[in-house]
Amino acid sequence: MSLREGSLEDPQADSSVSFLPHLEAKIRQTHSLARLLTKYAEQLLQEYVQHQGAPFGSPGFSPPRLPVAGLSAPAPGHAGLPLAERLRLDAEALAELPPLLDAVRHRQAELSPRALRLLRRLEDATRQTRALGAALEAVLAALGAAAPGPRREPPAAPGPAGVFPAKLLGLRVCGLYREWTRRTEGDLGQLLPGGPA
Amino acid sequence: MLAGRPRPSAQSARRTPPLPLLLLCVLGAPRAESGAHTAVISPQDPTLLIGSSLQATCSVHGDPPGATAEGLYWTLNGRRLPSEHSRMLNASTLALVLANLNGSRQQSGDNLVCHARDGSILAGSCLYVGLPPEKPFNISCWSKNMKDLTCRWTPGAHGETFLHTNYSLKYKLRWYGQDNTCEEYHTVGPHSCHIPKDLALFTPYEIWVEATNRLGSARSDVLTLDILDVVTTDPPPDVHVSRVGGLEDQLSVRWVSPPALKDFLFQAKYQIRYRVEDSVDWKVVDDVSNQTSCRLAGLKPGTVYFVQVRCNPFGIYGSKKAGIWSEWSHPTAASTPRSERPGPGGGACEPRGGEPSSGPVRRELKQFLGWLKKHAYCSNLSFRLYDQWRAWMQKSHKTRNQHRTRGSCPRADGVRREVLPDKL
Repeated sequence: MSLREGSLEDPQADSSVSFLPHLEAKIRQTHSLARLLTKYAEQLLQEYVQHQGAPFGSPGFSPPRLPVAGLSAPAPGHAGLPLAERLRLDAEALAELPPLLDAVRHRQAELSPRALRLLRRLEDATRQTRALGAALEAVLAALGAAAPGPRREPPAAPGPAGVFPAKLLGLRVCGLYREWTRRTEGDLGQLLPGGPA
Repeated sequence: MLAGRPRPSAQSARRTPPLPLLLLCVLGAPRAESGAHTAVISPQDPTLLIGSSLQATCSVHGDPPGATAEGLYWTLNGRRLPSEHSRMLNASTLALVLANLNGSRQQSGDNLVCHARDGSILAGSCLYVGLPPEKPFNISCWSKNMKDLTCRWTPGAHGETFLHTNYSLKYKLRWYGQDNTCEEYHTVGPHSCHIPKDLALFTPYEIWVEATNRLGSARSDVLTLDILDVVTTDPPPDVHVSRVGGLEDQLSVRWVSPPALKDFLFQAKYQIRYRVEDSVDWKVVDDVSNQTSCRLAGLKPGTVYFVQVRCNPFGIYGSKKAGIWSEWSHPTAASTPRSERPGPGGGACEPRGGEPSSGPVRRELKQFLGWLKKHAYCSNLSFRLYDQWRAWMQKSHKTRNQHRTRGSCPRADGVRREVLPDKL
């Protein structure tokens, strides 16, 4: 299902909307942003593990995959969902990520105050994820897809008390950030002309 | 608490955490690959001196009850610790003893982890091993145009503390007022701070640095200063370098007093430095007092020179201290006129450095000039200058007194005068 085939909801409808070139441009732009953030998310993860020390980042390191309040990884069946549903889930996840990334940044500022590049990357990630989320919501709105429901405010938890659990949680958040930006890039790619039907 | 499926019953029996933390624990309890065990390491995140010992325990509990510590092991920063450092205290507790600890490898703490038999992570604790800070020293401060104060210092400790150490610059008026803390750090290097405003003149400040980390704190000696004694300013703007008519060995340098202090620079000192275009060696003219122009002499003809000027607002508001030099101005370039005198062989280039090509008279003069350079102050005397002097003598007597050797400039009274070619 691609943009050329019509709206996300009715793939058989004619593309009669005159603003399609603008919409296509917007989709391309959002897809490019998602691709860029996927790359940045990978860099952030590498920078993060560097500052936590071994075994973080070591080959074979298999930390517990801590569930994060308010956000989970893309489900195994995500790829099989309708495109509209996938994009809605992407938008929801992107809306949940900024406060989590910000919380990680605050904790890292206490643990590694001299890790300026890491802190800057976390700050950039917070801001850029908001931008990508807003862009994706605009695309969904233009396509007539239902907007995501009212955002659940994440619980105002103080975070893990111990340093090691906090390091693990930060790793998990950075990992989720990478997974969701990658997923968003893939899903938006299917909207582009020439994308898989 | 890390391992085990997220079940409320997995919470430790030790105490019930507050609700928000409980929520996070319930949501955040990790899943172990083997069973539903959780563990707790004690102590959590200890701070220790280098060379000290650590005794820690990993206590397992979970579902089914009676989880055993059999097969558990420790890693520190990803490296498995030898089994001789561990022993089972009881069926569910594995103890660890580490002696003579080294300094922490990373600021975020060394990762001490308790693993299940299959390698999965049960619990972790971060160790902070280091030294308390030593006294910071060597505080130096300067004020830009009397508007602010920037200070830098050297941290104490001959080596690292291995722990994040926080430095705080404090200041107060000497005879009254409260302690203030500087807020803008790392402005001119890692150990520096900038106070941008609200500084008093004509009254001394006391300034010191406090260093703090997890193991203690230290305070530097107090530096007392008056802002007016540590003033610096901007480099002189509008530096212009130009030729002096057709004189092939001179350049005229003009500049403007730094505008921020121009109404106060009654005794300002200036310094000029210049170099040949393709050289890295600067020559400094350091006796340019309170003037805004200078003539460089003894230069090579047909040569591009780079020139810079800086200012010392010495004596501002009556300060008796030496003052602090500004940065050098941006380099300004100009070239001396090419020499028109024919060289030896009718039109060939001047010998390099103006060295004599022949003749007993010139040889003797060369020796004399060499002696003069050693024992007098005219380091730029050369045959070129001697020839120039001869040309002057031939042209007009009235130009003789306008020039000085060694690239110097008219000086204030009391300063030593240069030796002139026409006084030989």
